[in-house]
Amino acid sequence: MRFNKYFLYALLIIFNLVWILPIWPTILVACKTNIDFTRQAFWQLPTRMAFWENAVEAWTTAQLGIYFINSLLYGLAGSLGAILFSSLAGFALARLRLKGSYWWFLLIWSGTIFPFQMYVIPLFKFYNMWGLYDTRIGMILFYMAICIPFCVFIFRNYFITISFPIQEAATLDGCSSFGIYWRIFMPQAKPAIAVLILFQFTWIWNDLLFGMILTRSPLARPIMVGLARLQGFRAGTGTNVPALMAGAVLGSLPTILLFVGLLRYFIEGLRLSGAGE
Amino acid sequence: MKRSKSVYLFLAPALVMVVVFLLFPMVYTLSVSFTRWDGLSPPKFNGLENYIDLFRSRAFLVSLKNTFIWVIFTLLLPVGLGLLIAWGVSNIKLAGLFKAVFYIPLTLSAVTTGLIWVWMYGPQLGVLNNLFRALHLDFLAHSWLTEVPLNTYSMIFAWTWRTTGSNMIMFLIGLQALPKEPIEASQLDGFSKWQTFIYVMLPMLRSMTTVVVAMALINSFNIFDIIYVMTSGGPYRSSETLAVTMYRESFVLFHMGYGAAVAVVLSIMVLLVSAFYVREMTKREITY
Repeated sequence: MRFNKYFLYALLIIFNLVWILPIWPTILVACKTNIDFTRQAFWQLPTRMAFWENAVEAWTTAQLGIYFINSLLYGLAGSLGAILFSSLAGFALARLRLKGSYWWFLLIWSGTIFPFQMYVIPLFKFYNMWGLYDTRIGMILFYMAICIPFCVFIFRNYFITISFPIQEAATLDGCSSFGIYWRIFMPQAKPAIAVLILFQFTWIWNDLLFGMILTRSPLARPIMVGLARLQGFRAGTGTNVPALMAGAVLGSLPTILLFVGLLRYFIEGLRLSGAGE
Repeated sequence: MKRSKSVYLFLAPALVMVVVFLLFPMVYTLSVSFTRWDGLSPPKFNGLENYIDLFRSRAFLVSLKNTFIWVIFTLLLPVGLGLLIAWGVSNIKLAGLFKAVFYIPLTLSAVTTGLIWVWMYGPQLGVLNNLFRALHLDFLAHSWLTEVPLNTYSMIFAWTWRTTGSNMIMFLIGLQALPKEPIEASQLDGFSKWQTFIYVMLPMLRSMTTVVVAMALINSFNIFDIIYVMTSGGPYRSSETLAVTMYRESFVLFHMGYGAAVAVVLSIMVLLVSAFYVREMTKREITY
């Protein structure tokens, strides 16, 4: 019995070490000069702190700075826009007497089932036709759309749980449907909104596929496309790994900060999306 | 009367966005899959030719096989490990510390994960090979991302590193929600912790397991970013999955009709899996 307990601890410690293994050398490498990187073993400390130069190299020469701002814009506008539209729809589906509301819900929700590969060819074609290709507004519109089905799912399930008497009392007091939505339901949905901002911002920030297909120039390209292209970013003989890793660290900062700040909501979000409660 | 019309105003913005940007493209892709099209000249209808060509193409069959390898191993590793770690962590002190380590990769994108692991796996300066050499285990040093079929398994490991944490959280949520009485009763009856886990807790955890498995299955069919960053499906298209094949055929080789057919095959597989998920969801809807 006791042996089991020690065995369990040992196993968990091994797993923890394996999980930490990539993190420490990545941070070290981001702080090394190219010379240190090629001459030193990966566990040695850099002879001088070069994170700042590496970061500047990635930020300006590789234009990561512009991509960073693009993605910040997409993440904020896309997730907030999706939350606004979805909360309206979720409210209608859950609380307003709507014919066939379950079917409308399924129609919207079906947008989460199909693989993204089903969307890319027509989007590429029609974005070119509509003048949305390689524009920021085109990217924001698409990111909004792709976030909507999941947001509607969460809002509908959330609004169902709010008790009916409140809504009835407000209706009797002459409050319009929009007033009920805005003054009663939205303030109560704050935890759900926090979860959705976290999830959808992170999703948009991390997207590679649609960024590659719908943009071409730095003015519209999102951060992950920039990072993926950094891999082919040459300095002398091969990829400039220290600059690449400094870029990867910078490119992960927003999601790391969001995650640390909203860890409670992150777990709540997994519960909502998994348990469908 | 006025009320019933305004309801649609609430629904319309979300509905229009979904129909224009997601559902219409989906139907369009389906129709493109029955044509020969380079993306520029008008598409030519060619019936089921793309689908027949698919199953005659070696690249597609390799890609199909890789997709199944990914699906099977993402069930074994990120989901299986996630479950075991969740159970392990729930049995010990200092659980918070052990858990926190698995949270770290969750904050990174698949692209970043790929970049980190490309460097970990590097043949000359990479962390793994140097670690093995320093430990005098030279025979373990490999060219992780160019040897076939090792490259696929190397990427699966990187993916495991990234996703095990979220499965662990889901299972922890499930474990916490289990009723205490049957577990205590089984331990009074002389079950060991492990037996309790296998015979008492796992059966009660079934609905959470279904959800986690279904989500992992659907996600594994769709994996694209990490492969694109780590090998781009190479060398010689040996590590492509259907999602990567679709991208390559449509946007590198401009075989749009053929690419659309790959997307449709992928969708059919995902839909079959989703059917189970939807059934599980609607079951719960009824028990409300």
